[in-house]
Amino acid sequence: MTNRQPAYRGKPKSPTSSLVDQCVMATRKNSLHRTFLAFAMLGALLALTACNGAVRVDPASVVTKEPVSGGTLVYATGDNEPACLDPIVSGNVPQALVASQYLEPLFFQYESGEIGPWLAKSWKWSEDRLALDITVRQDVTFTDGQQLNAETIVENIAYIKDPKTLSSTGILAVEKVDSVEKVSEFTARLNLSTPDNALLEHFAQIWVPIQSQKALARGAEANCLAPVGTGPFKVDSWAKQQEIVLSRNADYHTPAPTAGNSGPAYLTKVIWRFLPDHAARFAALQSGEVDVIDVLQPQNAVAADADPALETLIGSRPGHVVNLTLNTRTGPLTDVRVREAFVRSVDVGAALKSIFMDTVPRSNSVLSSITKFNRQDPEAYSTDIERANRLLDEAGWNARDSEGYRTKNGERLSTTVIQNNAVLVPVSVLEQFQHSAKAVGFELVISQEESASFSARRFAWDYGLSPLYYTKNSPSVLNIVYDSANISSVIKGGYHANNNGLTGPAANAIDKSLRLAATTGNEMKRAEHYEPAQRLIDKQYLSLPIFDQQTRLGFRSDVEGVKLLSPLGMPTFYDTWLDRS
Amino acid sequence: MTQSIQTSHSRISSVQDQPADGPVTEDGSVRRKSRLPASGIGAGIILPLLLLIGLAAAAVLPSVLAPSGPLDMNPAEAFSSPSAAHWFGTDESGRDVFSRVIHGARSSLLIGVLATVIGLGLALLFGTVAGLGTRAVDFAVSRFLEVLFAFPGLLLALLVITILGPGIVTTTIAVGLSAAPGYARMIRSQVLSVRRSGYVEASIVQGRSRAFIFRNHILPNVSAPLFVLATLGVGQAIVWASSLSFLGLGATPPHPEWGSMLSLGRLYIGNAWWLTVFPGLFIVLSATTTTLLGHGIQRKLKDK
Amino acid sequence: MSLDTDNRTDTDRGQRPLHAGNSRGTWLESVLVPSSLRILGAAGVLWAVATLAFFTMRLVPGDPVDALLGGPGNNATEAVRHATRELNGLNEPLLVQYSAYLSRLVTGNLGDSYQLREPVAQVLGEQLGGTLVLAILALVSAWILALGLALWAAHGGKTATLVGNLLEIISAAVPHFWLGSLLILVFSVGLQWLPATSGAPGFEGLLLPVLTLAIPLAGFLGQVLRESMLSAMKSPFAISARARGESEASVSLRHALRHAALGGIGLSGWAMGSLISGAVVVETVFSRPGIGRTLLQSVLVRDVPVVLGVVVLVAVVYIFVTLLSDLAERLADPRLRDR
Repeated sequence: MTNRQPAYRGKPKSPTSSLVDQCVMATRKNSLHRTFLAFAMLGALLALTACNGAVRVDPASVVTKEPVSGGTLVYATGDNEPACLDPIVSGNVPQALVASQYLEPLFFQYESGEIGPWLAKSWKWSEDRLALDITVRQDVTFTDGQQLNAETIVENIAYIKDPKTLSSTGILAVEKVDSVEKVSEFTARLNLSTPDNALLEHFAQIWVPIQSQKALARGAEANCLAPVGTGPFKVDSWAKQQEIVLSRNADYHTPAPTAGNSGPAYLTKVIWRFLPDHAARFAALQSGEVDVIDVLQPQNAVAADADPALETLIGSRPGHVVNLTLNTRTGPLTDVRVREAFVRSVDVGAALKSIFMDTVPRSNSVLSSITKFNRQDPEAYSTDIERANRLLDEAGWNARDSEGYRTKNGERLSTTVIQNNAVLVPVSVLEQFQHSAKAVGFELVISQEESASFSARRFAWDYGLSPLYYTKNSPSVLNIVYDSANISSVIKGGYHANNNGLTGPAANAIDKSLRLAATTGNEMKRAEHYEPAQRLIDKQYLSLPIFDQQTRLGFRSDVEGVKLLSPLGMPTFYDTWLDRS
Repeated sequence: MTQSIQTSHSRISSVQDQPADGPVTEDGSVRRKSRLPASGIGAGIILPLLLLIGLAAAAVLPSVLAPSGPLDMNPAEAFSSPSAAHWFGTDESGRDVFSRVIHGARSSLLIGVLATVIGLGLALLFGTVAGLGTRAVDFAVSRFLEVLFAFPGLLLALLVITILGPGIVTTTIAVGLSAAPGYARMIRSQVLSVRRSGYVEASIVQGRSRAFIFRNHILPNVSAPLFVLATLGVGQAIVWASSLSFLGLGATPPHPEWGSMLSLGRLYIGNAWWLTVFPGLFIVLSATTTTLLGHGIQRKLKDK
Repeated sequence: MSLDTDNRTDTDRGQRPLHAGNSRGTWLESVLVPSSLRILGAAGVLWAVATLAFFTMRLVPGDPVDALLGGPGNNATEAVRHATRELNGLNEPLLVQYSAYLSRLVTGNLGDSYQLREPVAQVLGEQLGGTLVLAILALVSAWILALGLALWAAHGGKTATLVGNLLEIISAAVPHFWLGSLLILVFSVGLQWLPATSGAPGFEGLLLPVLTLAIPLAGFLGQVLRESMLSAMKSPFAISARARGESEASVSLRHALRHAALGGIGLSGWAMGSLISGAVVVETVFSRPGIGRTLLQSVLVRDVPVVLGVVVLVAVVYIFVTLLSDLAERLADPRLRDR
């Protein structure tokens, strides 16, 4: 049932990596071309400088050493700078990345999907599953001195529910929570409107963290600048558009169950810098200006694997995979045969192999490979040109125009994909899709958008295909992005979580199994319902899965103990130390 | 500031010492003697002209020069380094970079030329109106130009692109618009200096119409420097358009355009330098060529 | 650019060498009155710039409420979006918002950034320093490079002239981001001499960004300088200086260079604009905080108050620089006073 893809480290170093070969060849071949002497000289210079990094000698053989306490780690993120450091407000990946260093949730979710205690010591469901009693640890104080107790939970949920807080992810998580009451000093009771079997999973995400009620009382503005939690680090200062300085929490004693350390973190400081430019960020890592970078580009991962001074750590994130969602509301994609034909016409594997240099495994499931109940179906999403042509013939797109595209009633078989670099599907992947779709007479128009117009078009359903993903540590992410109840937004042009827009009997069938899956109290039953739900979704070709969302870290080899934290795969530096004596 | 005052005083006094150094022609303009060696001028124009003809040939007949189509893909051959089969190597989808650079000449040169035409056209309109109009008109137009000038060119381009959506046409308009205020200023001062010259004043005394003055005096005197401005501007427009592509606001894929090839190639600079180096060299080459040509013509004009 | 200064001085010199005496009249009338008029005009320009920017930002597709909610791509529900709009007065009619904006602007209040949740003045204050340092250092380096090259070319004979000329033209033709990337590749990644980003404190982190910004500018300045110097070297006063027995070097230093530098003053407004546009690219390539990157970011996420703030700031700086250079030119060149 589970198809886990644990975080993996880069391939073992080999002295003759492909990059080194390539560089040597480039230099040699170029110098043969006399006509291109000038180019060749410049090229050779560049090739040499590019290769210098790759052929440095390994400084010391790896010996397991005692962790050293102290030192400052510089982390450079390629994600956006959060507008608020409290992930309750909004609730996005950039916030989750940094907040994992200073905030902690009630529960811990293991890679198996199992829920365990963290700040909560124990929990108990009522018979009707409409009430949940949570008992918290009694020995925890926040970094502002406030003690963790039942009131903390009451205040945190009230804060999320306060419309002035402007919570997006958190508020969805506590949607079914009607009220919270203090049962005893350390036990709070959550009363639910309907059973929600994903509730514990919600409380295991960093988007629903537990913060000091004293700090929350300062109001959203102050809390955004320096949230107060129980994590291994605390927020010292934040120079906007530059860096966040985190310092060690000296009293830390609530490590996650999987941590390899106890007591305070080894690092005294973590400097969290914002370096959005991919090339500059990797260059900063190569030159040693920063110790760890994220959003490591595949080509840079290849270079890092060939460089003894660098290491990589890449792990999947849970949720809805990075995919192209097909808009079924207008145009030729209203026809499921056309949707399947499109999916069958493109070659995802070839694109990943060339553009991502074979460093990113393809996904054959709408759920991430580390999300419970994910169902990989390579057959449903395999390339099949013959079948694509047959389906399009059947759908009546038989005629061809002068450019070789199929037509029906004089109209060209054409659809538009909107693209934005922040949404992880690079335009070159779409160019390859465009090329292979053309082979079956399907025109794919690529429309590059900057981020604001990208969401504007998405909100207005103004796309044929849209790259999308949704990070969530629960299969219930399917209820968010596939339930047809989430098609409508209150006003025209507003946000809608469901982006395929499918309605009718097929959609009703999907809704039915999704809703059954979300409310059952039995994990076995839950699995049994999510299985057909995914089958139905796959059969409707509502999205083309491409790859898992990933946390992609590159770091200096002398940084030890870099780990990804379950369930969201966010980096944690609690176990990290610097081998720089 | 004091230094510049002294400078200009010394200049003016020396000018007064020795008045204009050429014969005054019948229309009142000054004919100056050539002081430049004649041989240098020919090479200064012919060499860049030849290069430019080469680029233009690539733009007009790319399929003749390029070994393959700009969109021909072969993912299995991605990131091949330059070789006999692929002179400039291949890109992330296995497309031949040399062919794409050749095909890219068309859009890049077209953006450069059209943006300059848009910029100069607007500039000619505003510059002439300001230079020839009454004081009030000049004041109004100058202030308007100043408003545009006070907008950083890139911001103007950014706004145009965010409003119209990215693409080659938008890039062209954006670059043209942001270049216009600068050109308009130069044209205005050009028109003003011609207007203040003796022969225009003479025409005014003779009661000639503004249209007559514009046609017979202003236009002939402005058109030559305008042409030089244009050749200088094309190169800059190409560089500008590539910068917009770098910021992700340029030509739409998979269309080959040097700027967008470059901005994509930059991501692979450590793995495949040829993706960055060759399109970049062609941007520099074309901008240099047009500038050289502009300078050559400028010198030749001055020489006459 | 070279045409501007060149042609005006040529014609003026040819036609109106004696005119200077006519407008000597009262300094007050010729300098102060037009200047105060210009200051009034400047206020008008400022208003027009702010207005133009305000309404243009409305034409831009995308909802500014996204900037308030953590940027485009947030998962905010419609209820949250509505509440946010309400809180920030975005539901008011456009003209009400405009007059509110103007009345705030008059009192010097630029509002609060949607995305950064800080007063815009504070955001700009934090970012301005970095950009100013970058721009000023780049301007100075560009002048040094350009002057050095021009002097070397002027005295190195024909080959030097040709090489110098070619170098200037090529550097002016290099896109910033390309140059920056190549410099990073060679000096940071290859040789590991200099940091690739400006996060490192001190001068080290500035070197590559400054060079990236300075080299193309030096190419332009060099071309302008050379043109003015060439014409100055051939001008009558240079000839008379030579006749007085001054050396070629002295002529070029004492006369031609001064003449050329005057041309540079007129260019300062233009150079500033080009530096700001260049800063957008350079700050992006080197991930350096500053006004340029702030501007790009705020346009992309529709952080309207910040965009408007940057526009007003740049306009103020531009107007100030233009007024100064204009005044300097007027004081320096009496022939310009009548216009």
